Amino acid sequence: MRAFTWLEPGTTTDAVALLREHAPGARLIAGGQSLLLAMKDRTAGPTHLVSLAGVEGLAGVRTADDGSLVVGAATTYTALTRLDATALGGWHGVLGAVAGDLADRPVRNRGTVGGSLCTGDPRYDVPVLAAGVDATLRITGAGGDREVPATGFAQGPGLVALRPDEVLTALVLPPRPRWDAVAFEKFRHRVFDAAIVSVTCALRAGADGVAEARLTVGGATPAPTPVPGAAARLVGPLPDPDAVAAAADAAAEEVLPGGATAGEAVRYRHELVRTLVRRAVTRAAADLRRS
Amino acid sequence: MQQVTLTVNGREVTAEIDERTLLLEFVREVAGFTGAHNGCLEARCGCCAIEVDGEITKSCNVLAVQVDGAEVTTVEGLAPQRLAPVEHVTTQSLAGMYAPLEAVRTRAEDLHPLQEAFHRCHALQCGFCTPGMLMVLKGHLEENPEPTRDGVRHAIAGNLCRCTGYQHIVDAAMEAAEVMRGDAPVPADG
Repeated sequence: MRAFTWLEPGTTTDAVALLREHAPGARLIAGGQSLLLAMKDRTAGPTHLVSLAGVEGLAGVRTADDGSLVVGAATTYTALTRLDATALGGWHGVLGAVAGDLADRPVRNRGTVGGSLCTGDPRYDVPVLAAGVDATLRITGAGGDREVPATGFAQGPGLVALRPDEVLTALVLPPRPRWDAVAFEKFRHRVFDAAIVSVTCALRAGADGVAEARLTVGGATPAPTPVPGAAARLVGPLPDPDAVAAAADAAAEEVLPGGATAGEAVRYRHELVRTLVRRAVTRAAADLRRS
Repeated sequence: MQQVTLTVNGREVTAEIDERTLLLEFVREVAGFTGAHNGCLEARCGCCAIEVDGEITKSCNVLAVQVDGAEVTTVEGLAPQRLAPVEHVTTQSLAGMYAPLEAVRTRAEDLHPLQEAFHRCHALQCGFCTPGMLMVLKGHLEENPEPTRDGVRHAIAGNLCRCTGYQHIVDAAMEAAEVMRGDAPVPADG
């Protein structure tokens, strides 16, 4: 690990000021579960670490007046799993389920939602869920505050649309009426491994079935990818198994064109996308049928 | 350099340390508790798992400065440890240490129910992963007094054991859970 200076601001304003003062070598650290691994490998070597642990108001979950769920960037996975159905009602509960089923308990105790989003690792779950439910991200920086869609925030392995002097403060899930069913599916070899491919399916009910569908695939490409073409096939009457399979085939082809006849690594992911989209859509459609 | 104070197994330790010092290094080299092991140093093997303010943590993937002021419990803090520690390890003292627990007349209160069950179920061979297994399982059983075998396997997903094949570790966790619930009598020993 390369030497660095440890800084502990108390507010996001101070954190932004420290990032500017010590640019370009300063990095933010929340739980550190990804950053410390990179620092030990020397694939990251910040000159200054700005800790978010002491920053007020960055951890915790609350429902805003408009019904959207504001998840502080420094909220740990474990904190999310401890929330009950009043705090995480309806499909917002998928966030708790996802947070409770990744890595292992010691890592979940320290790893944060913001860390997951800002690491830009295509295998991580939270970015795929965030993009999949059309969430927004709250960012504060020297140039003021802004909100950006979660879709498009990650731009490739290790790359996110965050300027060096900005801090991600919250993940905001849309109000519950935005969707009627959300399902997240992933595949990994061992329980504590990161996902190879993950999929989010979000459905909004209409008068006679599905009024709006959103499909997002992670892991198959360098950043979470929406597949609007395949999702459009789901709009209409509740899809039967054949329609689900057709949408899954279309999704795989949309994410990895020609993947079925490509080399082994791509073919494998192509097959995973097909399977996971089928599972996610089947589960979300079943939820819709019940509601 | 940065000054850090941690309470390790009830003992307050303050030191000036390099910012890069990992919590694992602080616990082992500064506080002197060598129970937590350095296995992989990349948060995979779980041999370094300890409790920080009651939350299980892989101490190789946390900086000591991140947890300044915290209360830390390592495997040494699991039970009162009535037995005198072996201070100078030689082949002979190792031979003495190898005596079965019965022979050194441990009493039940010397061991946490999990340690007792690990011993009884032969849940370790080389023992390198054991401190991490014990700490992770302690948290799991405290949160889930009626564990399932599957739940125990999920709980130790982040702990690698290259000797036992996990079977006996799961057996031990299930037995310890009974004792911790008070369903089974603490086995008379010694």
